[in-house]
Amino acid sequence: MTTRRRVPRSATLIAGCVLAGLVLAVAVLSFFWLPYAPDDTSGDRLMPPGLPHLLGTDKLGRDLLTQLMIGARVALEAGAGSVLIGGLLGLAGGLAAGFATRWLDDTISALLDILIAFPTVLLAMLVTAAREASLGSAVIAIGLAMSAIVARLTRVLVKRVLGQDFITASRTSGTSWPRIILEHVLPNIWPTLSVNLALQFGLAVLAEASLSYLGLGAPPPNASWGRMLQEAQASVFIAPAGVIAPGVLLVVLVVGVNLIADGVRDVADPTRRRTR
Amino acid sequence: MTVYLLRRTAFLVVSLFLAAVVLFLLLRLLPGDPANALLSVGASPEQVAAARHQIGTDRPLPVQFVSWLGEMSRLDLGTSFVSTLPVGPEIAARLVVTVPLTLLAFLLAVVIAVPVGFVAAYRAGTWYGSVLSALSQLGIAVPVFWVGMLLITVFSLHLGMLPAGGFPQDDWANPGDALTSLTLPVVTIALVMSASLIRYVRSATLDVLGSDYLRTARALGSSFIGAMWRHGLRNAVVPVVSILGIELATTFLGAVVVESVFALPGLGGMLVKGFAQHDYPVIQGILVVSTFAVLLIGFAADLVQRLIDPRLRRSLGGNLSGDGA
Amino acid sequence: MNSKTTSLIGAALVLALALAGCGSGSSGSAGSSGSTGGAGATAAYDPDATIEIGSLYEPQNLDNTAGGGQGTTEAFNGNVYEGLFRLTDDGKVESLLAKDHTVSKDGLTYTFTLRSGVKFHSGKPLTSADVKYSIEKVTGPDSQSARKSSLSVIKSIDTPDDSTVTVKLSSKSISLVYNLSYVWIVNSQAKSLTTTEDGTGPYTLGAWKRGSSLTLERFPGYWGTPATNKQVVFHYFTDATALNNALLTKAVDVVTSEQSPDALANFENSGDYKVNNGQSTTKLLLAFNDRKAPFDKVLVRKAITSAIDNKKLLSSIWGKYGTLIGSMVPPTDPWYEDLTTVNPYDPNLAKKELAEAGYGNGFSFTLDTPNYDPHPTVATFVKSELAKVGITVNINVITADEWYTKVYKNRDFAATLQEHVNDRDVVWYGNPDFYWGYDNPQVTKWVEQAEQSDTADGQTALLKKVNQQIAADAASDWLYLYPQIVVASSSLSGYPVNGLNSQFYAYGIKKSGGRG
Repeated sequence: MTTRRRVPRSATLIAGCVLAGLVLAVAVLSFFWLPYAPDDTSGDRLMPPGLPHLLGTDKLGRDLLTQLMIGARVALEAGAGSVLIGGLLGLAGGLAAGFATRWLDDTISALLDILIAFPTVLLAMLVTAAREASLGSAVIAIGLAMSAIVARLTRVLVKRVLGQDFITASRTSGTSWPRIILEHVLPNIWPTLSVNLALQFGLAVLAEASLSYLGLGAPPPNASWGRMLQEAQASVFIAPAGVIAPGVLLVVLVVGVNLIADGVRDVADPTRRRTR
Repeated sequence: MTVYLLRRTAFLVVSLFLAAVVLFLLLRLLPGDPANALLSVGASPEQVAAARHQIGTDRPLPVQFVSWLGEMSRLDLGTSFVSTLPVGPEIAARLVVTVPLTLLAFLLAVVIAVPVGFVAAYRAGTWYGSVLSALSQLGIAVPVFWVGMLLITVFSLHLGMLPAGGFPQDDWANPGDALTSLTLPVVTIALVMSASLIRYVRSATLDVLGSDYLRTARALGSSFIGAMWRHGLRNAVVPVVSILGIELATTFLGAVVVESVFALPGLGGMLVKGFAQHDYPVIQGILVVSTFAVLLIGFAADLVQRLIDPRLRRSLGGNLSGDGA
Repeated sequence: MNSKTTSLIGAALVLALALAGCGSGSSGSAGSSGSTGGAGATAAYDPDATIEIGSLYEPQNLDNTAGGGQGTTEAFNGNVYEGLFRLTDDGKVESLLAKDHTVSKDGLTYTFTLRSGVKFHSGKPLTSADVKYSIEKVTGPDSQSARKSSLSVIKSIDTPDDSTVTVKLSSKSISLVYNLSYVWIVNSQAKSLTTTEDGTGPYTLGAWKRGSSLTLERFPGYWGTPATNKQVVFHYFTDATALNNALLTKAVDVVTSEQSPDALANFENSGDYKVNNGQSTTKLLLAFNDRKAPFDKVLVRKAITSAIDNKKLLSSIWGKYGTLIGSMVPPTDPWYEDLTTVNPYDPNLAKKELAEAGYGNGFSFTLDTPNYDPHPTVATFVKSELAKVGITVNINVITADEWYTKVYKNRDFAATLQEHVNDRDVVWYGNPDFYWGYDNPQVTKWVEQAEQSDTADGQTALLKKVNQQIAADAASDWLYLYPQIVVASSSLSGYPVNGLNSQFYAYGIKKSGGRG
């Protein structure tokens, strides 16, 4: 087998941080400064890129750059919110299954399988039908779908840790289960889990965009990249910027987050061979 | 294996039943009155009551549930509130689009992913190995509907090579036409799906390439290809199959979005419309069919995986109980 | 996405109960219709052509008394089913299956004589029993027809012989003949009309592939002038972009109703297409809850109407298309007049009126906004316009279902946006129980008198008064009238361009050149 020349580990991490950081910076900036007010409709409809609207305007004459900057905020909120919900629920469920008796474990696994069989889009439709089409509904749906995947992973990781000798040793020396979880289980599963959560963050951002595209995400006038794409689709020949810009930003953010996940994994676990 | 099969089948049946209960309850918990879908502005309270009676939502929930289970056991998926037509035949008619779309996209994705993933791993240090990896990285980050939009813009509107959407009226009577109209949707799904598959194939291959038994075999004088064939392939295939099961399910349901981009008369369009109209029987029917399909795919993937990998044969196993602790 | 919900509420909002002029049914010859699109109407055409039509409105089922919806009307009205009368593309009512009719002196008895030699697609000849059956199908207890309430004045229907129908009314109704143009004459023996048909029109149903297409075939036994094409295929889309792409790639020949101006530039700049700017009857309303403060004050409503630049709004949504109205009446209604100057766009006037009404420091209200296009976009615009005169708008996005329950049934709203699709629907302002709660006894009386008038002129005069009064009271803010844009390949001619109440007569469409 050939000796593989490896890209220095940090390079992946740095590249990821630069890409995701770019989007983060834009989102943070949007709280303090925007080129135009979000619902300022003073421009003409579908102006081409130039001055005074750097990237042009949308159908309503709103500044595209402004909408994109707010969209960055929405995308990050969607990712963070979903990971928070999915991570906490998934961790709880996975720990429960990991520690449970076989019968309970099987039941939880069955429920997880059903939940996984129930993909994000369908779940989101149900949640939006039950609540309303909003960013909150989308985040809840994505978080729920994600929690099943996180729980499944957590369960496997927990079982693996519990099977190790030092747990048995702790138990015999009388350590309580909560302490074992805090001192042994969580620190041991965290590296793998955090990498997975980072990947899930990217998937959540994509899911939110798809839901918004289908009209199930944040309702207008809130800017979401997915909905901007849907709205700009009709005028692709007249104003291509509206179709290209949100898509490129989506890709930048998700690639960035995925690279961070890979980078973290490599740094945390140098023996691991999968680099990208 | 027989015991496993029995257990796994019992598990499948329980899952199906649980899924049916969950679906039924979830739908009934939704706010809004489905009778509204039947009425036009100006309807009197009597008309609303008549509409409720007509669709049966004036009965208590348990009664509705039992009668629904009864219908399902006769493979009757009910009658749409809105169109007053049976749901089952419409779902069947639409599967004619969705199933081939899913399978073709899945096949194409596998055909792309396996060689590319292998080469990306085998040539991991070289420039084109890196390029392949980078491309797959990009592929995972691209929203599927965006790919569809771009493909339509280029291949349909600019070049006029392929239709931008729709499906022949006579379905598969003329397979050439049907395939032509499925080409862009299939490519769209396959491109995006192959990206994540490539990563799985690549890492599975890397694991095998770095494994001790392969090194040992090579040291004992086997050719690389021979060693790979005898030991590597089988070990690389196991994790990939479990992923394939999940990915096939994802494709089936990812078709919802892609069908709406390409205006295909598949299940996706029917579902989106059903939700907009609060048409319970339609939503219920599609969710039942698709959830069952996904659970069956998981079942099949587990069986296949066990057949390939003897190490899993002892536990309930595989996908289901992870490392079979 | 949006079109699905649009068609849903469109179907729900078929605000019937309209009063009609044109009471004297002059018997027009069959086959002649009003304005048609396409320049080359006289050019040579292929009589055996297939016309591919693209539409956003798929039928729910094929029975318009069982909730078939807008799509059923579009595909079947005049094409597969015919009424005693026909509403032409320019809004006139002419005789169709009724050869003649007379009205008794007291205006309570109508006698219709049927055209002879008319056969259903099943081969059965048309008789008066079928007409009685068809009208009763619309007014019956199971009917979900939007016309049900407007035909409730019918007391009894008699059939003295096979070709005569006598209709007795409980009170005078000048719009009876107009309303009958919406009643499809169906074979009284026909079964399962939700999936099949048995009408008298120039086409029979070929195949209906749900979610995709509906095919009509020329009926060889048609009693009138045969269709100028052999086959018509309606292709259904749920997304306007996909529909336009189909037209651009020549998968369809004509689009019945464009819902966005964005793609039109592609068609306007090409000699291959013709963009027809016709008349629609769909009005976008900013409807106030006239019962509740602050909108119970005429001055507040006038101020808001003057604070919103409708012209800029219209051009944001529709580019150069669409019309400003200034009241509920579109130009195709007989009682139309231009009232756009009653409450002109003038923010300073708006501020003055607000101060006068006691709201000099502004106020805030919640705008219930349906979640499908164009409402959310319009809400954004309204919000930014009203901010300039000190009014804060909170946009509350709701589904069509919620709109129906919250706004329409429970009247639990301050103001809302909604499109009203029907012609002749100004009469709703005469109903104080309607969702917007406009209660002016004088207007209510005028509307009642108009329906009882003996002549169309009398009716028109009264409804004009209604129109002027509601505009003076700013009962609602009528933001704009939608355009009706039919885009067709330049090889087509003879298609309808106005699409009144979403009908689309296909029998006169001619396609030049060979098939394809």
